[in-house]
Amino acid sequence: MSEKKETKQEVSRRDYLKITGGAIAGLVVGGAIGYLAKPTEVVGPPPTGVTTQTVTRTLAETITWLPGMGVSERAAAGAKQLVASGAVPAGATIKLLHVAGSKNNFEPFFADWEAKTGTKVEVVTLGGEPDVLTKAMAEATAKTGAIDIITIFSTWKGDVIEAGLAKDLTDYYNKYNPEYGSQYPDTTVIEPLADYTTMYKGKRYAVDLDADVFTLTYRKDLLENPDYASQFKSKFGYNLKVPDTWEEVKDVSKFFTDLNLKAPDGEKVYGGYFYADPGWAAFTTWLCIFVSKGGILFSPTDMKAMINTQEGIDATQVMADLVPYMHPDALSMDWASLYKRYSEGKAVLTMAWPSLIKWAQDPSTSQIVGKSGSALAPGSKVTVGGKEMLLKAANNPVNWIGIVSNYSKYPELSYLFWQWVTSPVVGAESVSRVGIMDIFRECWFVPPYRETFEKAYTPQFLDVFADCIAHSFPDLMIKGSSEYLDKLTKNVNAACVKAKTPKAAMDDTAKDWEPITDRLGRDAQLEAWKSMIPLYPADVQDVWKAKGYLS
Amino acid sequence: MKTADRLTQWIGKTESFKKLSTLPLNFVLNFVLIVPFAIMIFLSFTRWEPLSGYDWWHAPIAGVPRFVEAFGDARLLWALIRTTIFVAVVLPLEFLLGLGMALLFLGDFRGKKAFTSVVMYPMMMPWVVVGLGFYLMFQYYGPVNLLLLKPMFGEGGVIDWFTNAVLAFVAVMIADIWQWTPLMFLIIYAGLAAVPRRLIEAAEVLGASSARIVRTVRLPLIKPLLVVALIIRGLEAFKVFDIVYIMTRGGPGVNSTEVVSLYVYNLSIVYHNTSYACAVSLIIMIGIALVTRLAIRPLEVRAE
Repeated sequence: MSEKKETKQEVSRRDYLKITGGAIAGLVVGGAIGYLAKPTEVVGPPPTGVTTQTVTRTLAETITWLPGMGVSERAAAGAKQLVASGAVPAGATIKLLHVAGSKNNFEPFFADWEAKTGTKVEVVTLGGEPDVLTKAMAEATAKTGAIDIITIFSTWKGDVIEAGLAKDLTDYYNKYNPEYGSQYPDTTVIEPLADYTTMYKGKRYAVDLDADVFTLTYRKDLLENPDYASQFKSKFGYNLKVPDTWEEVKDVSKFFTDLNLKAPDGEKVYGGYFYADPGWAAFTTWLCIFVSKGGILFSPTDMKAMINTQEGIDATQVMADLVPYMHPDALSMDWASLYKRYSEGKAVLTMAWPSLIKWAQDPSTSQIVGKSGSALAPGSKVTVGGKEMLLKAANNPVNWIGIVSNYSKYPELSYLFWQWVTSPVVGAESVSRVGIMDIFRECWFVPPYRETFEKAYTPQFLDVFADCIAHSFPDLMIKGSSEYLDKLTKNVNAACVKAKTPKAAMDDTAKDWEPITDRLGRDAQLEAWKSMIPLYPADVQDVWKAKGYLS
Repeated sequence: MKTADRLTQWIGKTESFKKLSTLPLNFVLNFVLIVPFAIMIFLSFTRWEPLSGYDWWHAPIAGVPRFVEAFGDARLLWALIRTTIFVAVVLPLEFLLGLGMALLFLGDFRGKKAFTSVVMYPMMMPWVVVGLGFYLMFQYYGPVNLLLLKPMFGEGGVIDWFTNAVLAFVAVMIADIWQWTPLMFLIIYAGLAAVPRRLIEAAEVLGASSARIVRTVRLPLIKPLLVVALIIRGLEAFKVFDIVYIMTRGGPGVNSTEVVSLYVYNLSIVYHNTSYACAVSLIIMIGIALVTRLAIRPLEVRAE
């Protein structure tokens, strides 16, 4: 029997290098062919909008082929016309990149859009919000055109615009008119929300999908309790009421924490729960206090960080003083814990997004249904022209907005979908559904749309929320905002956990902010910041002028 | 000869066919590994980030200054120190616990297979799940406080783990030890079980105690395996990211539990400072390569 001799075939190092070299050479040749074959990308300079102190709005021209139509009808007709003219093929699909868990705001309307326009929408979801920014920045670099429209946080607006991803939509606004602006009193997005969520350096780069303005939410049953009212009066010398200032928030929080009340599950009830964790502390609680004290983040003359002014130190001190009267989760848990703890009845005062009231009113998630009230965020007493006034300004962190990719094959069609799904008629249904979007058009606060939204929120909340939006101010939305806010929020948390004094925390943050500004270009950052200032409420700007921060 | 045999013989003899059949895999590996690596090296010598407004291949060359900047970066230095402390604590503990468990499992006992499966479960869980679980467990009103510390020490024993930098770091280490001790157990147990029985019996006949047998017979024989286990686990521990991200996000306060991987993540994903993140990554990679080279020297000397 012959033995099979197995010849051991080994690939020698020389052969391996030959094969690998061949593979790389093939790759390089293929890549070179691909690079030379594709159309030349015009890598334009970063956008350089004109910095103005006033916001200019251009009235839409009357489109003769869209007479008398509403916002959604103009959008749908515009899309149909694009298909009819051959600019967009029939059956074309728009890809929407969206955070997971809230397709409910958009997906149910895709069939209707397709029926009206002959084009389709497909949603691609990602795990969490940070993943959306990562994917957006990857698309800004790779320019694949695989995604047409993206939902992003307003905080990231500067980044995605400066990275060249977000398309300038000003021409589409002028052509199709989504009715943002005070000349449309019945249907407008409430100002200043419409402007600060959609504009950057004087141009429109997004559509508004949301209103994430923080409101003060409180246990009205406890605040209206006559026994507690008399105890509070004898202790603090004024009537127990919904706090108007952060000092009153501290008093009310201390009072209820010291009462040692028990929640339905037997755990302690704390006076307050305000975000103070390393992820959310800065641009939720802290920023609201800071602006209400008349603080300004950067100098409008040289972009120097101004968070370590007295206003910044005082804002940080307020938060540090609140810590003993807050639920312990406020320092370390994520944003959803506030919803859970408040709805379990473990906090008397809190401040969060509008969706909190939905959560607190839902019997499946709340043990305090019917016991919540809403109010404008507390403010601070400031002196303007020798007179003391109460300045209230509500922060609007991480407001969802929709952008159109610069690399989309169908940018106009993509914009039209955004206009359609956020229009007064369609938007009333899409926004009121369970998901991430909240009410932002003035017409939705009144009949006939109000009834739809009252089912989601409460009548009292709706009465208050329009006023909150009118008093709201924007997130920090310039280039590098994630980095600025990351440094700030960690230092605020450090002060809250007593790792630093408020002054040291603010000084360290200011020291960290300067290299960021230098790296990103001080002049460019100044231009962007100066274009944001007019988007703040008028009374905030008046205080800045009175303090000499604004000329 | 059958056709199949002829075909097999032909395939076995043909050199070109063998080389060509490895080409697709080579292509994929080189494309996935070498091309991004080459781009990373290029970017580390430039000043570029997505917010620059121009493409990365148009980025101006900055040369060595990015590396000089990294060596002067206090935040990077502290991240390295924390990561080193992390490895220095979790690695010996995981090793000793894994060794202890492996020795316990050497003998036969009832339900051994079931217990072995239970011991392995932590290792099979995704890092995110482990991180989230321990994040919830160590909260102020979590089970560690309510079920363990409060019954033992009363109200005064309750700890706010995530508001203290040291305690938060300890919580992260506990999570890592819980998850990866089974890996050490698995490797060490496999080695100990493979020690020839006759050597153990010979030592027993000569009157050696169990402890002495472990110390002088079992452990020396599996020493190369232990070195490999320590290197593998050490490298993985150095790269820790998920549980730190989930449990502390680098906090409390300012970066008090930030490890190297989390710092690079912040640089590249949060701050979009891409070219600097590449420079830092390259420095760390070279550092790890040097340390690993030194660590495996005992194995090479032994092989010679």
